[in-house]
Amino acid sequence: MSNNKIDILNVVESKLGSKVQIQPGHLSTGSIIANNGLHREVLKAMIEADEKTGIIAISGLDLGENLGVYYHFRTSNALVTIKTEVPKTNPIIQTIIDLHPGAAFHELEVTDLLGVIFEGNKPEGHFVLSEYWPQGVYPLRKDVKANEIKLSPPQETNKPAEDPRQVKIIIGPQHPALLEPEKFSVTVDGETVTKVEPRIGYVHRGIEKASESRTYLQDVYLVERICGICNSIHAAAFVEAVEKIIKVDIPPRAKYLRIVALELNRLHSHLLTLGHAGLEIGYETLFQYFWRDREPIMDLIELTSGNRVYSSLMAVGGVRRDIRAEDIPKIKSVLKTLRGQLPFYRQIYTDEPTLRLRMKDVGVLSRKDALALSVVGPVARGSGVDIDVRKDEPYEAYAEIPFKEIVYKDGDTWSRMNVRMDEVEESINIIEYVVDHLPSGPIRLNLPRSVPAGEAVNRVEAPRGELFYYVKANGTDKPDRVKVRTPTFANLPSFLKTAIGESIADVPANFVSLDPCFSCTDR
Amino acid sequence: MIDYLLLIFRILVFPGFTFILLLTLFCDWIERKIEARIQNRVGPMVAGPAGILQPLADFIKLLTKEDIEPREAKKLVFRYAPLAAFAIMMFAFCFIPIDGGSVLSFGSTVGGFNGDLIIILAFATIANFLLFLAGWASCNPYGTIGSARVLTQFLGYDIPLFLLALTPAFIAGSLQIANIASAQATTFLPFIFLAPWAFVMFVITMQAELEKDPFDVPHSESELVGGLETEYTGAKLAFLHLTRDVQIVFGSALVVELFLGGPYGPVFFGPSWIWYSLWFVLKVIGVVLISEYITTVVARFRIDQVLSGNWRILLPASLISLILTVALVTWVYPLLV
Amino acid sequence: MAKKRSISPIFKRAAAHIFTKPATTKYPFVKPHLPDDARGEPMYEIKACNIIDIGSGNSVGLSIDVRSIVGSSCRVCARDCPTGAIQIVEVEGKGRPQINLNKCIFCHQCVETCPRHAIKASDLYELATTDKSCLIMKPNVQSETKETPK
Repeated sequence: MSNNKIDILNVVESKLGSKVQIQPGHLSTGSIIANNGLHREVLKAMIEADEKTGIIAISGLDLGENLGVYYHFRTSNALVTIKTEVPKTNPIIQTIIDLHPGAAFHELEVTDLLGVIFEGNKPEGHFVLSEYWPQGVYPLRKDVKANEIKLSPPQETNKPAEDPRQVKIIIGPQHPALLEPEKFSVTVDGETVTKVEPRIGYVHRGIEKASESRTYLQDVYLVERICGICNSIHAAAFVEAVEKIIKVDIPPRAKYLRIVALELNRLHSHLLTLGHAGLEIGYETLFQYFWRDREPIMDLIELTSGNRVYSSLMAVGGVRRDIRAEDIPKIKSVLKTLRGQLPFYRQIYTDEPTLRLRMKDVGVLSRKDALALSVVGPVARGSGVDIDVRKDEPYEAYAEIPFKEIVYKDGDTWSRMNVRMDEVEESINIIEYVVDHLPSGPIRLNLPRSVPAGEAVNRVEAPRGELFYYVKANGTDKPDRVKVRTPTFANLPSFLKTAIGESIADVPANFVSLDPCFSCTDR
Repeated sequence: MIDYLLLIFRILVFPGFTFILLLTLFCDWIERKIEARIQNRVGPMVAGPAGILQPLADFIKLLTKEDIEPREAKKLVFRYAPLAAFAIMMFAFCFIPIDGGSVLSFGSTVGGFNGDLIIILAFATIANFLLFLAGWASCNPYGTIGSARVLTQFLGYDIPLFLLALTPAFIAGSLQIANIASAQATTFLPFIFLAPWAFVMFVITMQAELEKDPFDVPHSESELVGGLETEYTGAKLAFLHLTRDVQIVFGSALVVELFLGGPYGPVFFGPSWIWYSLWFVLKVIGVVLISEYITTVVARFRIDQVLSGNWRILLPASLISLILTVALVTWVYPLLV
Repeated sequence: MAKKRSISPIFKRAAAHIFTKPATTKYPFVKPHLPDDARGEPMYEIKACNIIDIGSGNSVGLSIDVRSIVGSSCRVCARDCPTGAIQIVEVEGKGRPQINLNKCIFCHQCVETCPRHAIKASDLYELATTDKSCLIMKPNVQSETKETPK
């Protein structure tokens, strides 16, 4: 098998040669410095060489006189960053959405929060910030202080549908179908959906800005609270990125304990989604059954970490608590009971006629669209794209643990739910392997509170997909920039695509199969 | 004079208004408990012993809430449609024999009059129509879509309902409900054994008429917020909920009368009307249990699946069932008896 | 479809469930059993705290600068608290931590950081009250040990 890592950087070097500066090994696989619009050339070369090139995130940073725009891309086996800079006085850069449509949301966010203008991708009004936010004030710039903002009256109005025969139905922000508030303006022609316009940002709390004024120790708790369901994963991603900057390797027992926390998180999140899907299609009994089986998992999380939801196990340098040997039989018995329930649920998914009627061939996302929009997680794996960070770039101790990557080909709601159900079984396998093979040793390194200057990227597989962190340190005990790209933010554009052409009655079932978590999306 | 007092007592207390109200609240409690137990949880447990007063507590709670009217709503219909629907459903109960005879009788010994089966099915349709008007008059997009779906659903399913309700009428040879029920008592053979296919289809059609899962579309929260109830608060909402619960008991009572032998059953000692009422209540509870089990166990259909199921499957099937039953009754069963 | 489809198992399971005991814990009539080290209210023990001079440190908010703590070896609980729930107040001339349970997120970082283990972990979780001022744990009295019902 060819080593794709070196190929990408070689490909770029052979095509563009001396026009760009390549730094292999920096920021995971390598980073490429390409100013003056050359980022488009680099991207073109990468897409031609590897079809699985997908955008992960666009980090905007305030570098003093310039604004940095870093494009993070993933290929089959590499993570490449393209760094560009634009001056603050004229922050205009060319867009890449014609080459790669999945970058649309990321560019809009950088425009909103930092003031970089992408030619060809202009937002109407604010994207992430509220309508009351004053124009021209960009919160992520260093000179803007959070408690000095003066709100101004909104200017956004709700526009009716262009075609007078079509009706615009507004789902949200408060709606029983949505767990968290977001607004979707759905234009329907009769019963068929023709367009979906999202408005996100209702839960935007400015966590990225807040993390710049707290120490690394406090940031672990702050970052954990981006999402209530995948909280350990956020914390783990952050501390791993910081450990990469410090260039330290944590003890093996800590790695295994982290995996237990991460996989327990994945278990309870998948059971939550599977139950919630039942609720959306009117199947309350399935919802109650799944959540009844989820309760012992919450008890396990409480056993290992002290709290049912926010486990707060991660710390820079290891984990905060250990698993006692006398708890391990309880963990194994709970997992055994859960494993015994899974055939019942699998049979319901195959045999129950009403469920199949609501979920089969609903919300189909083709493989081509999945690659173009750069979706992640079960949404991608349900459409035949086999990306899983635990296999592509193993972190913690995943390289030593045997487990399967689940991929289904059909791309409809039913496949995505089945991916999650099979992943529940795989998580049970992983946890059982880990508690059987726990190495002995310390669980935490004592690291100094200040972090030397540097930057690092880190990817982690959250239950909803690939979670990405970019951390930049400047030598003090507070980070300079923390950039978070959550999986739902990447998956949301796929909903805009799959809802078109279907009946509006399918919108709830379609939507819940994405497993949206808006706290994550808005941060 | 005594007759009139007795009549008023029968209309207002037993087996009329109060009795039906108490039966409705009791069936609501049974529904919620069964649904909870199937879902492995407890259900109502605090209000009254084992939570039996919970439906009453919910009703009283809604009566004490603030009553908000949208400015744009059509006042007359918005205010009085729920009440009118409730009144019509209660009136329809006057023709169903509960304690051996219906409350209102017009020259007949068993109660009711010839053709009252059609009349009370028409009453049920009018009540549904009033509910549709209630949602329409609230001038809210969710209410409008919800009530449009209610209309499409119950108008469509009314046709198989009538056809299937005619099947026992053919077997008994009369359109009077009391006669149909007593025909099953005299032969000791409830019609469920003579035409079981009609019973099954009637139960399914009743589920659709009563808007219970899997035909739950007008009440689907995930799409329509509240459906036709979106703008209703306070006392009006209390009556809307009560109307829906009374409809469920009415549907079950219809199933009992047409297919399960009505209130007639073995009488052991004492006056027969006590035993007849007891059998009626037990049979209604049995039908409510079956209906609630079906509700809990399946998911919800989409609106287009509901409609295509009606026009493509249920309507032809009910026609075939009617023809088959008439043929069987006229030619086959006399040979077997 | 290659797989044979049969009747969904939920019909039998649902009917069986009518007769089984519900899975609900009937709180508050029945209390759940918590593991020993569940994270509950942080309890403060006055004798062990180490602060000897209060200084003029700004312990409100999160802009505590490490260099402003002059000469004392502590005040780390207030410095490390992620939400700023711990404020240092003066009690008998010494600085003591005052924990505001309104802001506390029960992460027990203070328990971990205190070098003298003056703040101890407990597993009390029934902390709801109708009076907000009860939730500010003043450090001038030793927190009484309360028993959690097991």
